[in-house]
Amino acid sequence: MSRARVRSFAVLGVMVLLASCTDDATVTTTSPGAVTTAAGGGATTTAADTAPSGDGLLAAIQSRGNLRCGVNEAVPGFGFLNPDGTRSGFDIDFCRAVAAAVFGDPEAVEYVPLTAQQRFTALQSGEIDVLIRNTTWTATRDGGEGATFLHTTFYDGQGMMVRTDSGFTKLEDLANTAICVLSGTTTELNLATRFADIPYTPLTFETNDLLRPAFVAGQCDGWTSDKSQLAGVRSAFPETEGGPQSLTILAETFSKEPLGPVVIDGDSQWAQVVDWVVNAVVIAEELGITSSNIGGFADTENAEIRRLLGLPIEGDSGPTIFDAGLGLEPGWASNVIKAVGNYGEIFDRNVGPDTPLGLQRGVNALWSDGGLLYAPPFR
Amino acid sequence: MTVAVTPGPWVRKHLFSTPFNSVVTTVLATGLVYLVSALVQFLAGADFEILRVNLALFMVGSFPRNQLWRVVVAVLCLAVSAGMASGLLLAAARQRANTAGLGFERPSGMTALVNVVRRFWPLLVFIIVCLALTTTIAPTLVTMAALALLSASRLLSQRLHRRQFGWIAVVVWPLAAYYILSSSGLGWDDWGGLMLTIFLTVAGILFAFPLGMALAIGRRSSLPVLRWFSVSYIELIRGVPLITLLLMGVFALGFFLPLELRPSHVTRVLVAITAFEAAYIAEVIRGGLRSVGIGQTEAASSLGLSNWKTMRLIVLPQALRATIPAMVGQFISLFKDTTLVAVVGLGDILAASAFANAQPDFNARGLARITLPFVALAFWAGSYTMSREAGRLERSLGIGER
Amino acid sequence: MPDRVRTPWWRNVQVLRWLAQLVAMAVVGVALWLLWFNVTNNLASRGIRTDFGFLDQPFGVRIAGSDLSPGSAVRLALLNGIRNTFALAIVGLPLLTLLGVAVGVGRLSGNWLLSKICTAYVELLRNLPPLLLVIFAFQAVILRLPPARSPATPFGWFVISNLELHVPSLRAGENYRAFSISLLGAVVLAFALWWWRTRAQQSTGRPHHRWLWSIGIFLTAGAAAYLALGRPITISRPVLVGRVVEGGYRGLGSYFAVMGALVLYTASHVAEIVRGSILAVPKGQSEAATALALSAFQRFSFVVLPQAMRIALPPIINQYLNYVKNTSLAIAIGFAEVTLIAFQAIGNGQPAPQVILILMGCYLIFSLAISLAVNLYSRRMRLAVQ
Repeated sequence: MSRARVRSFAVLGVMVLLASCTDDATVTTTSPGAVTTAAGGGATTTAADTAPSGDGLLAAIQSRGNLRCGVNEAVPGFGFLNPDGTRSGFDIDFCRAVAAAVFGDPEAVEYVPLTAQQRFTALQSGEIDVLIRNTTWTATRDGGEGATFLHTTFYDGQGMMVRTDSGFTKLEDLANTAICVLSGTTTELNLATRFADIPYTPLTFETNDLLRPAFVAGQCDGWTSDKSQLAGVRSAFPETEGGPQSLTILAETFSKEPLGPVVIDGDSQWAQVVDWVVNAVVIAEELGITSSNIGGFADTENAEIRRLLGLPIEGDSGPTIFDAGLGLEPGWASNVIKAVGNYGEIFDRNVGPDTPLGLQRGVNALWSDGGLLYAPPFR
Repeated sequence: MTVAVTPGPWVRKHLFSTPFNSVVTTVLATGLVYLVSALVQFLAGADFEILRVNLALFMVGSFPRNQLWRVVVAVLCLAVSAGMASGLLLAAARQRANTAGLGFERPSGMTALVNVVRRFWPLLVFIIVCLALTTTIAPTLVTMAALALLSASRLLSQRLHRRQFGWIAVVVWPLAAYYILSSSGLGWDDWGGLMLTIFLTVAGILFAFPLGMALAIGRRSSLPVLRWFSVSYIELIRGVPLITLLLMGVFALGFFLPLELRPSHVTRVLVAITAFEAAYIAEVIRGGLRSVGIGQTEAASSLGLSNWKTMRLIVLPQALRATIPAMVGQFISLFKDTTLVAVVGLGDILAASAFANAQPDFNARGLARITLPFVALAFWAGSYTMSREAGRLERSLGIGER
Repeated sequence: MPDRVRTPWWRNVQVLRWLAQLVAMAVVGVALWLLWFNVTNNLASRGIRTDFGFLDQPFGVRIAGSDLSPGSAVRLALLNGIRNTFALAIVGLPLLTLLGVAVGVGRLSGNWLLSKICTAYVELLRNLPPLLLVIFAFQAVILRLPPARSPATPFGWFVISNLELHVPSLRAGENYRAFSISLLGAVVLAFALWWWRTRAQQSTGRPHHRWLWSIGIFLTAGAAAYLALGRPITISRPVLVGRVVEGGYRGLGSYFAVMGALVLYTASHVAEIVRGSILAVPKGQSEAATALALSAFQRFSFVVLPQAMRIALPPIINQYLNYVKNTSLAIAIGFAEVTLIAFQAIGNGQPAPQVILILMGCYLIFSLAISLAVNLYSRRMRLAVQ
């Protein structure tokens, strides 16, 4: 072989090496200094994940080894990127819960940050497995956008925030003003409907950090969003700009905003898995199981607790462990609870009264406390 | 022979030569004084806490903080690579000068240091600003280690000048850096901040180059189908903004490929960027191909070289050399255009500015007037340095003067 | 001499060429068909429509600066977006040309301060990303204006806030059509007078003063028509009534932010191009002009600049195209040009591939229009456009 040919093979080998290095699911075993001949020298896996033998998304996720979760990056309390690179929030905790259920490891998550417009196409085009990004459940999204909504994790409503010194008390006062709203959200559509007879100028922004300066500078007189988000913004409003008391969230709630996880249409096994993860944390709170006391239920007589935690139940033919047939390892619920706690713990840790958001349980309490959280029985 | 110029006549000649000039000078001078004083006031009263706390976010995004040693090793590898490359170029220049019988004098010591500072001062300013914002000594140590490695490898490769070292400098060390940053479970999708910006630029140009070359050659082909396809691709892609292609990549790529493939977010963006750059690179290469005279092709065919051999041995080497300044220009342009990925959700350095401003500590305090200029400084330092280097390269290669 | 030997088909260049083309066509055809198949299949399996019928669906939201109701069709919203992009282009392109040429020339001026400042401007703005400039212009400049609830009213003639800028405009009163027809007549008269005075000079040799005559007749005729028709055009001043501004012409703050940032950015590129092309004009030209006793200003505007602009034209076209493409950055600050409308449509459930195709088509049409217009102009000037 001429030297030129050797060189071209070397280049080819290096290119293949590069291609093999881009598969982030497997560890490459070839060394970088191996500038050798033979095009087949490097591993030939491609950068894409090919579907495994099972048909469903659950099987594909299990073989890939991590969960791709579509999240928000800049909403404190729900989906937030901290300065040290970690993520925290209500929705982030549910991502970790699903990962704990499927893999037993809450950190086996690849977070895919998405803007409001991209979130449904990312789901449709398979970029993410589940979307947990304060997304409102609507009929169109269920129908035309190819999405399936699961058990609501947060019952919210849309509100309007204005400056206290503006003197606005009801929505009609905002006639002929500008109102800031995020693009690609139900908030935008609800605003248009509610203000159908009221003249106003809508200012639509891609993300909250582009919107916030406009509101603070007074370009728009109203900021409309889910009330939980507005509460978060209000509570963090700095004193130099007037502090939280300079902002008022108007009393009227103009729409229901049930927020929950979303998966793609057509895979009922995966949808049920995510649904039951949410149900499990609610049931855990109903049964009084927390991440700290979960170890102390080995001798409980309560059959539902034993089923939930995957503890053996005495039966006629010896001890059995309950398996609901969801495709997960029995005892997945105890992995979930150990990882993120029950619903109350998730709520209190991220958006509860002791956090900067300072939200009360309100309609997000258990049904037995007068709220809307009601999970089907675990049997 | 230089004449000592006293201030008086110089000012009269250059600033107040005509009444119009005097008016212009006065207006500009007052404006300048106002601007500078406003800038100084702003800098003196500014609170850089947001930058200090979030520096890692700006540099590496959400890369796991316990794996930052990988970034350090990668930076050192790249420093070695840069040092080796510059040393080899220097040795090659010296050899050429010696062959031509010319002397090869290079200043040393203090003069050399001053020259380096004069040449790279924007980058140095940016590095110093970043180091001033760090809270531990570690980054400064790493920077000094990188600079030391760079000079050492430059000195070493000047002495051990061999052709194979070129491959090692340009291919092996960067590959090592890439491997370090993407092994044991990490991948492109974990990179963020300035690291992601640089990666998208380099990878974009690298992957787009073969495609662009194919398109440029296809555009000159005598086969109508190939020519038609190349022309329509190039004109289509050049006529639309990058944002639409990013949209297409992020939203629609998943539909164009079989659904089981599920490419990741960064992959989709990279595909869009590659498709975009390929069209522009094709135009640059086409310009280079046109600059090679027809006489070259005629001489090659009279020597019995086939079409392909002519292209490979005669035309392309000359053409590619002529395109180097324009290529660097394209590189700079892509470097600036990668800020758009913040709009489709990737966490590059501009998105880091958004995250920093969304944090509860820094919320709603208008600190964008601190973070945005920092990001602007990063881009300005990189682009300005690269464009000056492109100018130097153009002059030293003597393009357009042959 | 041997008989003609027929080369076998597998060595025959003609055959091979056709074969190669067939293969290429087949490959391209198969690839496109595969792509199409994948797209329609995948969209169908997700329950998303694959036709362009979504254009008649209601858009769902209001658009800033327009009167469209939320129920209007998507196609109307997109047209509105195109109109906004066009508004950015039609004002921005002339502005950036003027600024770019001014700065490029200023950089070569003999005034040291002016040339240094122009150099600093070019080297600063050329190396910054345009998205950064747009966001900065919005947040650091526009948002610094008075808030929308308490705008400033300088001189009583303007209403300025960070949301909108209102300037006085012309309002058509009665007899407006009669007035515009008489204005047209006055223009025709002016042209006629120009032609007549030129002919007069050619036949008699006396100075024609054609400028004076034409403009004079235009103004006289126009004023006469204005008075005779009873003030058909009045100036409408923007007046703040509560929260509404009545009268005057309105421009959104975000519009000015995008335009300002992009004009400054593109002008810095144009300045570089202009400077390079002025330096490329052969030195002999300016030497000859000096020999003919032309002043510096005359030398510059009659000899150097026209030749420089010819060289500069192709790269400047490129910068115009870049400007139009960069207007898509307005999505970062909420100005409703066509890219933002497309993003909104996708976010509210319209099928993504079709919307993106339409968006790309819009920009292609813009680019082609600009290239065509400049090509026509340069052909008239008999230039060789690369």
